[in-house]
Amino acid sequence: MNGITQSTALWYASRATGVVSLLLLTAVVLLGVLVNRQGRLPGLPRFVVTGLHRNLSLLGVAFVAIHVITAILDPYVTIRIVAIVIPFASAYKAFWIGLGAISLDVVLALILTSLARARMSRRLWRSLHWLSYLAWVSALVHSLGSSNDLHSGLLLYMAIACTLAVIAAVAWRVTHAGRDIPREERAAATLAMMSPARAPRTRGTPRGDAGPRVQGGSVPRGSAPGDRAPENVR
Amino acid sequence: MTYGTTVPYPAPYPGPQDSYPGHPGPAGTGTEAPGRDLPRLLPVHRAVPVDLRTHLSRYGAPPYLGSPGKLIPVLKAAGLTGRGGAAFPVYRKLQAVADARTRPVVIGNGAEGEPASDKDKSLLWISPHLVLDGLQLAAEAVGSQAVALYVHRNARLQERLRAAVAERAAAQIDLAPVEIIDAPPRFLAGEESALAARISGQPAMPRFKPPRVFEQGVVGRPTLVHNVETLAHMGLIARYGPAWFRSAGTRDEPGSMLCTLHQSDGGRDVVETELGTPLRDLLRLDGTQAVLSGGYHGAWLPAADAARMTLSNEDLQAAGAFVGAGVLVALPADRCGIAETARVARYLALESAGQCGPCFNGLPRIAAALDEVASPRPDPRAVTDMIRWAGLVEGRGACHHPDGTTRFVRSALHVFREEIRNHSAGRCVDPGRQPFLPLPADAALDAADWS
Repeated sequence: MNGITQSTALWYASRATGVVSLLLLTAVVLLGVLVNRQGRLPGLPRFVVTGLHRNLSLLGVAFVAIHVITAILDPYVTIRIVAIVIPFASAYKAFWIGLGAISLDVVLALILTSLARARMSRRLWRSLHWLSYLAWVSALVHSLGSSNDLHSGLLLYMAIACTLAVIAAVAWRVTHAGRDIPREERAAATLAMMSPARAPRTRGTPRGDAGPRVQGGSVPRGSAPGDRAPENVR
Repeated sequence: MTYGTTVPYPAPYPGPQDSYPGHPGPAGTGTEAPGRDLPRLLPVHRAVPVDLRTHLSRYGAPPYLGSPGKLIPVLKAAGLTGRGGAAFPVYRKLQAVADARTRPVVIGNGAEGEPASDKDKSLLWISPHLVLDGLQLAAEAVGSQAVALYVHRNARLQERLRAAVAERAAAQIDLAPVEIIDAPPRFLAGEESALAARISGQPAMPRFKPPRVFEQGVVGRPTLVHNVETLAHMGLIARYGPAWFRSAGTRDEPGSMLCTLHQSDGGRDVVETELGTPLRDLLRLDGTQAVLSGGYHGAWLPAADAARMTLSNEDLQAAGAFVGAGVLVALPADRCGIAETARVARYLALESAGQCGPCFNGLPRIAAALDEVASPRPDPRAVTDMIRWAGLVEGRGACHHPDGTTRFVRSALHVFREEIRNHSAGRCVDPGRQPFLPLPADAALDAADWS
């Protein structure tokens, strides 16, 4: 491999941002599975998982944009501008570049629908979000096929690690699908976790995001009037 | 007083029947309208539920207009807003449903999951035919044949309503048959999308909007959902016209509404009052430290502020509260507002449908932190934790349950700040902790399902 010269700078930039994009995309998929399973990252509040998932996806788009623009501008290969979004329209490695275009299209659709999520049907948003797995797979195959970079050395190990991580996450998601706490009991489960039965209060111990310690039962539970039948109304 | 006693008909009633004999003229004219006298919805002698014969002798048959859409401009002119809490203009929902391409479903919402509210149950018990008239007129206005009444789970009430529906069917005064559907006893059961889910045969849990229920509701059809009190007003507006309706209330918030009043001495009553009535005329405010307006999704107000306000969103929204479904509670001076709010917050947390993470993770944390603040010498971090969590749950649910709960809790932190300082010093105004705000018993909640 030769050193970076002016004429090869764009080519190297494209390859490097491609690698970073793949890493970010993988992280976004892993975090997405974690968001879906209501999981959390060790030592961090739950909303951080959602926040990271969203923000890394936006960062990923920025890297993909540089990856695509540098590839177009690079004189070494001829990729038409339409090939960015239209699959298999590239003169250079039509199939492998086409997979990248599919991935880009899907990622853009996911980002746009997520930004407009409050204004659209939740079911539609959810079904579109299933395409994220397709985007990741086509991005990986695109990476492996369109460049030799991932075929050896550290980058090969990186590609294997990404693949194993996503496979593991999907396996975890599938096997844990049926182990949810039923919806009706979730709030009660959280409350029980928050108020460990009448434990004597200890002061001054550090506390993470698990919330304040509470003195169980310091407040009376349900009260006398209860649920009145209409005949009790004066 | 029980409703089992028999009193000879017709019960005295100072409202429309005195000045308004027989069948009304065309709706919207208001020419023969009775005075603005209240009550309009509940007879003064409420011991006697109004049966169909009495109802017809007072009001005549429902004034059908002959074709869909005609009632909508009348309701627009009247300025009627939804009485279920959101105060949304009634005509807009009707218009949206009437404009839909598929045939709509019309539901009267009498779920009344709010434990502090009695007004829908009272109205359905005492004046069921006013509600059923409104339901028929609404169904005619949107061209619907699929009509149901979704009612709080109470066997006696539902039995009476079934009898009322049967009576009307026999008298052939209804355009569409009405089904009585049981609402599970959950706080959120009356939320529009939960209602639509329940009537479609699923658990009564809210779902994300859009699509709104008036676009896709019961079994995917456009669904008109109105609170039963709204329907009762509709039935009277169709008879007496918008000018009559507007003769009560304020210009911006016309008409009357039913309120459930909780006095500081423990008295609990349903009254009908004009919008714009001073709160001090509704609640006895001496010996009261704070007023809860809008129920458990509403907000606390210091009693001194409440004394200067009227029952109107114009006044109340400026103070962070709202009229809602007309629940007003006067908290006596010798009760702990924080402990009361903590009890209710715990109930609200447990009433989460468990669908949205921010709700079923956040609300129990907020409730536990408030419980901490209610205890002697609380952890000083509890209040800041609570405010942080409140910010994290607001606007992040399929429904407004997280938002309503944090509004209620935030107002307590503000209004009862003196009491929080007391707790920090190890004192409480009510160490005995007598519960005041009404809540269903835990056992009843544990047993209750969502369908």
